[in-house]
Amino acid sequence: MGRLASYRMLGFSVAAIVGWVILWAWLTRDGGPVPTLYFPPPDDVLNRFWRMWTRPYIGSTLWQHILSSLYIVLTGWAAAALVGIPLGIAMAWWSRLKWIVFPIFQLIRPVPPLAWIPLTILWLGIGDAARISVVFIAALVPWLMNSMLAVYSVDRLLIDAARTLGASDRQILTRVVCRTALPTLVAAARMALGNAWSTLVAAEILAATAGLGYIAVNASQLLDTDVLIVAMIMIDLLGIGLTALIEMSQRILAPWSLAGERRG
Amino acid sequence: MIDQALANMGVVSTRGRSIAYGVFSLTALLLLWFLATSVFQWIEPRVLPSPAEVVQKYVQHVTEPFSGLTLAGHILASLERWGWGVFVAMLIGVPVGVFFAWAPWFKTIVNPIFELLHFIPPFAYIPLAVLWFGASTATQAMVVFVAAFPAFVINTQLGVSQVEKIYIDAARVFGAGQAATLRRVVIPAAAPSIYTGLRIAISNGWMALVGAELVVGKVGLGFMIAQGQENASVSTIFVGLITIGCLGVLIDNLVQRSERYVLPWRKNVMVNSG
Amino acid sequence: MMSTTTSAPLELAGAHKLELQSITKWFGKKDEGILAVDDCSLAIDKGEFVCVVGPSGCGKSTLMTIGAGLEDPTEGEVLIDGKAAGPPGPRRSVVFQKFALFPSETVEQNIKFGLQMTGVAAAEQEQRLIEQLKIMGLEQFRKAYPSELSGGMQQRVAIARALVMQPEILLMDEPFGALDAQTRTILQEEVQRLHREKHYTVLFITHSVEEAVYLGDRVVVMTRRPGRIKKELTLPRDVVWKTGDIEAAAEHPDFIEARREIWALVREEIIAGQTN
Repeated sequence: MGRLASYRMLGFSVAAIVGWVILWAWLTRDGGPVPTLYFPPPDDVLNRFWRMWTRPYIGSTLWQHILSSLYIVLTGWAAAALVGIPLGIAMAWWSRLKWIVFPIFQLIRPVPPLAWIPLTILWLGIGDAARISVVFIAALVPWLMNSMLAVYSVDRLLIDAARTLGASDRQILTRVVCRTALPTLVAAARMALGNAWSTLVAAEILAATAGLGYIAVNASQLLDTDVLIVAMIMIDLLGIGLTALIEMSQRILAPWSLAGERRG
Repeated sequence: MIDQALANMGVVSTRGRSIAYGVFSLTALLLLWFLATSVFQWIEPRVLPSPAEVVQKYVQHVTEPFSGLTLAGHILASLERWGWGVFVAMLIGVPVGVFFAWAPWFKTIVNPIFELLHFIPPFAYIPLAVLWFGASTATQAMVVFVAAFPAFVINTQLGVSQVEKIYIDAARVFGAGQAATLRRVVIPAAAPSIYTGLRIAISNGWMALVGAELVVGKVGLGFMIAQGQENASVSTIFVGLITIGCLGVLIDNLVQRSERYVLPWRKNVMVNSG
Repeated sequence: MMSTTTSAPLELAGAHKLELQSITKWFGKKDEGILAVDDCSLAIDKGEFVCVVGPSGCGKSTLMTIGAGLEDPTEGEVLIDGKAAGPPGPRRSVVFQKFALFPSETVEQNIKFGLQMTGVAAAEQEQRLIEQLKIMGLEQFRKAYPSELSGGMQQRVAIARALVMQPEILLMDEPFGALDAQTRTILQEEVQRLHREKHYTVLFITHSVEEAVYLGDRVVVMTRRPGRIKKELTLPRDVVWKTGDIEAAAEHPDFIEARREIWALVREEIIAGQTN
């Protein structure tokens, strides 16, 4: 696809989204078919956004709520990486460890991560620790599974080929193993963050004193639909932003993995 | 997907020594739990009840009503909401997916907004659903719908767009119009992919349902867990978690097994690719 | 001695059964995209078996797709009995290279597909199905799915699906290209027998010179891309090599001569294509 064609596609997308916003405004206009209580018009949402940005809403400004959400999600995600990557690699390396640990994982995996929220609240209280640990559980499985997969996906043939070409063990590790494993790890990062983000929102809805999910559930109880929509839009934008960050890091760390992904 | 990849590489082996190790590790875990609670009482029952207590609680929930319903009642309530959400998602999602693949103009208009909103997790719709529908089955079903819908659209579109042109050509040569081509050639060819979508939708929907029930409602498995928290009863939470996990596995297994009956022509294909 | 002439097709009374008139096909925009077929004309009379050979990628399959009505030519016209052929329909049946059997339908459903689409009565569908199953030796596979059949059997079903329509014209696009050598030989003989007994009008695309010489009443050699018609050769029909099996035919001096001549033409194109 040429650059021109992709610019045109982008133009169409922007036009379509503008069209949807106009439809939204039309449906929610004064005396329109959708009452403001159920769905506020775009300008209400924008006004509300500005007020929440400049003045505290239930204790914190919007920016502080965002930081609170980001802090929890990134801490849980990173902690899961710290445990999941080494454990995954070790499990791929020593089959015995895998045979021992894997069944326990299989036992826990069918339970949705957010179902642990009540338990963590009982155990750890309503503070950050409960939410971080739930996010940790949600992010751990993708990290661990993909780290295993990353090790297994390194082709023995490639290692042998490198060896016959005179590569040392260190060169093999950096040039062959890392290169094939890295894209899988980036995929792990992405899946883990996706899981973490959606579980965090649930956790904040259930038990928090700040954060976007907390705003959303409060707004729902107070029938502040415009606040609720602001919160949902922010959740969406942050999700997009975090995904974009990971894609950017993939472009920098493992540019060779992108060509194949676009095709699929 | 990861499971499939790992299975193909022989990582998730179900034979021989690995099973022995698995049995050993699960038994050890159970034993540790038993020792820590019942025998040495390292952990207070308030924090972690003993296995016996959990079993006892399970029996109690099966036989005696809890918040008005026995365990079976809560299961049925959950299944009903979940079933409606997934069903409606399929009813709308599959045609939308076909349309995406067949009518580029439609995709141009709808896909940008679809992609843009895709990053809102289903749980974030819970407050909105509560605001719209209150504490009703519709609230839960809407959250399930939001979780299940994209899987149907994406996988149907994928399946339809991957139908080889030669089949469409063959249908045309033998006189099939658009409707007949869709019904007899395109949908069956896309069916395996739609089935994959169904599996994803079912598991996403199940997860979303539990989330929705934790927040709002007076029955259901998620509600049971939330009540467990309320009553500080870890055993009730455990009963809920175990039931949710088992049902999730059971449903996924049933769907997986049903594929060969719904798509009989896939028998051989599966053997070949397995 | 046989006559390998470069003459125009025989002049018969009335129009040709299928005629491709000065077909030109561009993929993409005209004069900008890829020129696949350049001004090809081809006429097939009733009961005639015409083979088109050429190096791979020469546009012979494109020519067939256009002949079937699946694609429109950029320039030129397709005629049946002297009238514009229009969209695909029951008068023309196609056997595709990769069989193109609908994987979700049984042998029976596949064969009946076209009959159902064109509204043939159920009783007649059944009768024609049984007849066709018998002709192609498929009786016991009636309820099987394509994935349960070997490649050779699948192509028999594809041929049955085309013949059951009782088409005026049969188009075959390298139908045996995906089969192993032994199965291919048996099916070639079968197609030869069917043509001899029923006098189908056939446009047969192949890259195998041997197959073309064995099956064709006339062989059209195409150039490398853009595909043009390099030469047409009329082969005698109803001589010994067309009535026996292919092994025996291949030893006939006239067969060898024709194969040598056509191969030389195709070879020229392949080599010219490689040096470009």
